[in-house]
Amino acid sequence: MELTPSELDRLLIFTASRVAEDRRARGTKLNHPEATALISHAVLEAARDGATHAQAIQAGLTAVKPSELLDGVATMLSGISVEAVFDDGRRLVVIDFPSTPDSSSPGSVTRLEPLPALESEDIVTLAVRNDSTINISVTTHMHFFEVNPRLLFDREAAYGRHLFIPAGEHIDFPAGLTTSVQLVPISGNRILIGFAGLVDGPLDAPGAQAEAMRRARELGYLDGGAS
Amino acid sequence: MNEFHDAQQDIAVHGARAGDFVRLGDTELVIRVESDDRQRGNELQIGFGKNARDGMGMQSTRPSQSCDVVITNVLIIDAVQGIRVSSIGIREGRISAIGRSGNPDTMDDIEVVVGSGTVIIPGEGLIATAGGIDSHVHAMAPRVCDAALSSGITTLISQEFGPFWGVGVGSAWALGHGHKQFAAWPLNVGILGRGAGSTNAPLFEALEGGVCGFKIHEDTGAHPRTLDTTLTFADEHDVAVALHTDGLNEMMHVEDTIAAIAGRAVHAYHVEGCGGGHAPDVLKLAGLNNILASSTNPTLAFGINAADEHVAMIISAHGMNPELPSDIEIARRRVRQATMAAENRLHDMGVIPVTSSDALGMGRADDTWRKTFAMASMFADRAILDGSVAPQDVVVENERVLRHVAKITINPALVHGLSHEVGSLQVGLLADIVLWPYRSFASKPNMVIKSGIPAWGVVGDPGSTVANAQPLTISAQFGAFGASAAELGVHFTNSMSTAHVAGRRSVPVRNTRTIRGTDMVRHGVLGSIDFDAHVDANDYTVRFNGDIITCEPAQVTTLTRKYVI
Repeated sequence: MELTPSELDRLLIFTASRVAEDRRARGTKLNHPEATALISHAVLEAARDGATHAQAIQAGLTAVKPSELLDGVATMLSGISVEAVFDDGRRLVVIDFPSTPDSSSPGSVTRLEPLPALESEDIVTLAVRNDSTINISVTTHMHFFEVNPRLLFDREAAYGRHLFIPAGEHIDFPAGLTTSVQLVPISGNRILIGFAGLVDGPLDAPGAQAEAMRRARELGYLDGGAS
Repeated sequence: MNEFHDAQQDIAVHGARAGDFVRLGDTELVIRVESDDRQRGNELQIGFGKNARDGMGMQSTRPSQSCDVVITNVLIIDAVQGIRVSSIGIREGRISAIGRSGNPDTMDDIEVVVGSGTVIIPGEGLIATAGGIDSHVHAMAPRVCDAALSSGITTLISQEFGPFWGVGVGSAWALGHGHKQFAAWPLNVGILGRGAGSTNAPLFEALEGGVCGFKIHEDTGAHPRTLDTTLTFADEHDVAVALHTDGLNEMMHVEDTIAAIAGRAVHAYHVEGCGGGHAPDVLKLAGLNNILASSTNPTLAFGINAADEHVAMIISAHGMNPELPSDIEIARRRVRQATMAAENRLHDMGVIPVTSSDALGMGRADDTWRKTFAMASMFADRAILDGSVAPQDVVVENERVLRHVAKITINPALVHGLSHEVGSLQVGLLADIVLWPYRSFASKPNMVIKSGIPAWGVVGDPGSTVANAQPLTISAQFGAFGASAAELGVHFTNSMSTAHVAGRRSVPVRNTRTIRGTDMVRHGVLGSIDFDAHVDANDYTVRFNGDIITCEPAQVTTLTRKYVI
């Protein structure tokens, strides 16, 4: 058969799914590995029989019924990834089994008091226009002063500031459109090394801001009020 | 989006925050996060569109001036640190800092500086504990090491290295091979010498061979002379002594064993007695200050089938013969529901400070975390989380959870003199860290980090586009390969031996002779244990300081049925 390590691994799914299938046939409620094996197996077999990627996902989603699972197991079946062999080759399929977790679910996190909104005492609001022809996205901790030169906004007002949005998120600036953003001061020691090299040192050193503005203008960064 | 969805989205991205309630696996144990070192808006995150970038969340310094590895924003559950969200910085295999992570140039109050070359292991949605310490292992087969690592154990105190019943090894030549063999795994390993000597002669050879302590076992003699010889020798050389007492009461009763120990420190293995020792009342050893008691895992989370499995287990593990009626009889005398029930209570009360496996010798190498927390769950109060109880009034199990973490981490480290290297998540100690998903805490780990390097954990289809494609198995990671396996682990030895394995660090154990019950973290409750005998010779009432201690066997225990095929 000349089986590869990856093929040998797939046989583990088959074995586990047979065990799970026998147990289900006896009316035994399924646990996390059993349900995962049945879902993975259904995806593999659908692909083998010529299913499309979308059809294989459906096969995975319907491989087990919530009523066949032990209490709480449905909430453990998120993000099941499996690589099946489709007619056009191996493809990754990810199954998120639907469930409604509550405070009794395994590993559940319950937040009884809402998280307070992000706060800052020093917020600057700027209009920013994307003068290019493609979308530009900016992340939270980017020094907004040094973002893509094709964004038109009041650069001086953005000096030493970053976006006021939750960490890990970003803001899109669609081509040709103006977007309003809120900026807050960079904290810590306020030393910016790298980026576009416009500051490359302490933000608040004497003359640093004027020098950064000079470099930005020299390099053609758009600067000015946007509407 | 409504408030609930906002909260669930935030939790999915950032994990639990201060004040959140987290259910551990499928247990009744709900903890409340005590604190969170992150600053809202400055949480460090790695990935596409995230902020762990050069000059932003990462400082452009050498990793040697920041840290080699950082585990970010992880829920720490540690007997010393408590229950808090923080980041763990690691330098050259040791924990270098715990606190807020990021770039001090752009973020306030950074305690763990993340360099542009630092390895970042995202900890959101994961729990970090210290690596488990299994202080009672019979390494009867090499794969016991795989089983242990797969369950979140990073330190073994073994009594053998081969399919022979050693209960301690005395030959320096054989010990030399044992140390070399264990160096194939990213584990800290100490081997116990056989504490069966009426003279010092056999003990000296084991000491020279690099043992970290001695095991006194009734199968090889747990008599007054042996006890005194071994304890005197251990006092002279600062090594621990583990004890399986005279279960036949052949030469002494439990009171005589206590007298022979004469106030010296000793680790009383499987103190309930089913694993062996004075029948029926070896449990009396628990609660004494010089006797550090432990349990082995089959009797923990005392269940309805606990007693029934043990007669066969005793006969099989101890070289007995089921055809021999006298063997059956002494095996039966070791199995008592009353002491199992009392043992579980004594754990909850903080009297018995250590849990262990007795792997391949009447316990399960990969079950100690699971059974320890299943036991904790038996005694937990149900948290009311439907909003009908104010957050500050919800009954949570932080203290009970930390007490049970101590049983498998810091306390065995203290008992065996390892706490200068392992046992908790403290700056300066080895970065032996287990990462657990909230949903499978104590049942199945996600990653086992040994001395700062991922050494074991969940791996997927090796030919896949992603690392997490089914079938997921828990097995070796890179730290288990090449010369790393030896270098990441420690050979726990004694201060006299020069026995050494190339590539592995030898570390003498310390302070094993002065350790007392009152030093046990989140334990140290002392008292006297008494038995009221009933008509049926195997039925007892067990009392602690006069009060009856018992519990009903559980019909269902947590952390196993939903998780194990």
